[in-house]
Amino acid sequence: MKWGAIGVVARKELLDSSRDRRSIYVLLFSTLFGPLLIAFMLNQIAGQEKAAHEIQVPVVGGQYAPVLVNWLAQQPGVEIAAGPADAEGAVRERKSDFVVVIGKEFAERFRDSRPAPVQLFSDSTRQTTRAKVRRIRALLGRFSAETGGMRLIARGVSPAVAAALKMDDVEVSNAQQRAATVFNIIPMFLILSAFTAGMQIATDSTAGERERNSLEPLLLNPVPRWQLVTGKWLAAATGAFAGMLLTLVVTSNVLSRLPLEDLGVRYHLGREEMGVLVLAICPIALLAPAIQMYLACFAKSFKEAQSYMGFLVFAITIPGVMSTFYPITNRPWLHPIPIVGQYAAAMDVLGGNMPGVLGLVGGALGAAGLVVLFLALATRLLSAEKIIFGR
Amino acid sequence: MIRAENLVKTFGAVRAVDGVSFAAPDGVVTGLLGPNGAGKTTSLRMVYGLMKPDSGSIEVDGVDVVSKPQAAQARMGVLPDLSGLYQRLTPREHIRYFGQLQGIPGGELEKRMDHLIEILELKGIADRRAGGFSHGERAKVGLARALVHDPQNVILDEPTNGLDVMSTRAVREVIRHLRATKRCVVFSSHVMQEISALCDRIVVIARGQVVAEGSAEELTALTGKTTLEDAFVALTGVQGEAA
Repeated sequence: MKWGAIGVVARKELLDSSRDRRSIYVLLFSTLFGPLLIAFMLNQIAGQEKAAHEIQVPVVGGQYAPVLVNWLAQQPGVEIAAGPADAEGAVRERKSDFVVVIGKEFAERFRDSRPAPVQLFSDSTRQTTRAKVRRIRALLGRFSAETGGMRLIARGVSPAVAAALKMDDVEVSNAQQRAATVFNIIPMFLILSAFTAGMQIATDSTAGERERNSLEPLLLNPVPRWQLVTGKWLAAATGAFAGMLLTLVVTSNVLSRLPLEDLGVRYHLGREEMGVLVLAICPIALLAPAIQMYLACFAKSFKEAQSYMGFLVFAITIPGVMSTFYPITNRPWLHPIPIVGQYAAAMDVLGGNMPGVLGLVGGALGAAGLVVLFLALATRLLSAEKIIFGR
Repeated sequence: MIRAENLVKTFGAVRAVDGVSFAAPDGVVTGLLGPNGAGKTTSLRMVYGLMKPDSGSIEVDGVDVVSKPQAAQARMGVLPDLSGLYQRLTPREHIRYFGQLQGIPGGELEKRMDHLIEILELKGIADRRAGGFSHGERAKVGLARALVHDPQNVILDEPTNGLDVMSTRAVREVIRHLRATKRCVVFSSHVMQEISALCDRIVVIARGQVVAEGSAEELTALTGKTTLEDAFVALTGVQGEAA
């Protein structure tokens, strides 16, 4: 028997699904959802960072501390406003992001060079105000240190005496690695897009054949079962790969248009990085449809198959979740593990570390082994009487 | 030429087919007649090689179906009990897909396709997607798809079940044409009129066994009845009382 049947089956499945409006929508949705979500999140973060540079400071009791209020007002991007009567209530009810309350005894204690009372009301459970609160806290701290320093100088003491430590933050990651932590989510979306883009063909060509009773006539053609399965897989893998590539191109375009400088990160995916990234993750586009086809063979209908796919998508996000508490970058021995390996390799590329040829080959071999296994299992299922005739 | 010997198939405790034997020669339409659940479909599934018999043997043109199912399937055109279409493909694309899977070269396939569209009166719908087809239209496309490789042996499981008059006539016409060209046709039905209108030889199956075999005249003579329907009731009913 010739191998030509594989191409015949693949062409038919691609033609069939290209006419399915639902599969086109799924492809578009799955490729656009990730990049748009990333864009939204980065914009939010950038907006918060920017907002912290221009803050409005509600002050209660400003009349007791004109020195502090004037100093604050002179800081760049700071605007003083009258604070609400009930500071705590205003913050709790989210009418104010934070409130600075100056005590009555401020003037007297300040004059006597005793610690003068200032209260800062804030709500640490509110993610969106954290940057602003951090900024005002830093400003108050600086005022305290500067004033303290001047008092020491007035008494003939060097302010250096009061500073026991000289703290220097040394950041070891380079800008690209810092960007990678922000972009952690990109590999997950690339992997998810392969699963969602190939799913339609993978399930329609297996569970769908059973549902519409077209499997029995198809199996009556004198073609080995493995060739039918391989042809269907080839079509689904083409869809998965197309979805993945489209997601990558859209993501890269979206990122290049975002104001990433506001986040203090430089992000650059050149031609070479894109090429290596595609090589690193393409095993997923081959593996995802193989797993999906195997699972969908158990389903009697398209709908039943889709409920299995839900579990699968949940399972494949585990490496992503895992990576938040177990670092998977720069660990080449992870690369041959299917899915985890591709995830790790993609993170490395985005973090500015190109994985070696050995890692890429290892990843491809690990995935290829699983592809063969799942296709063989699917072939066996499609030969079972209870699958062919079970309705 | 199809020869089935002593086929047995059990599902759990149920003996669905319990020793069915029949021979279907070339140039003859052989009918499998029996009530619903008698074992006709299961017998045919074993004949066309998608179900393995527990015991017994089947030969199609001398090819053993159990050991060489694909070689045997290449010699058969089958319209199964349930034969679904792809909603988004046209009849022409259905026939082309199956023709390519049968390994028919392009030019020959297009000629064969035009012929099938002609004799099954599919011209008006040949390039429309199958999504909204009537039952009769679907059955005709299924039949065209099954006959694309011009098989020597044709197996039709309840082909006219639920069809309207025009579609039934088209299917009967095709079956007569197959007989005239010396093909071996096996055709199952639970409808007496279908069997008596088309079949040269009738194999009556009840409760997984062959209870009688012969032409319509031989069967009526055997039971001493005047119509095939009475003969059928007598044959399958006798079996019922005995069991």
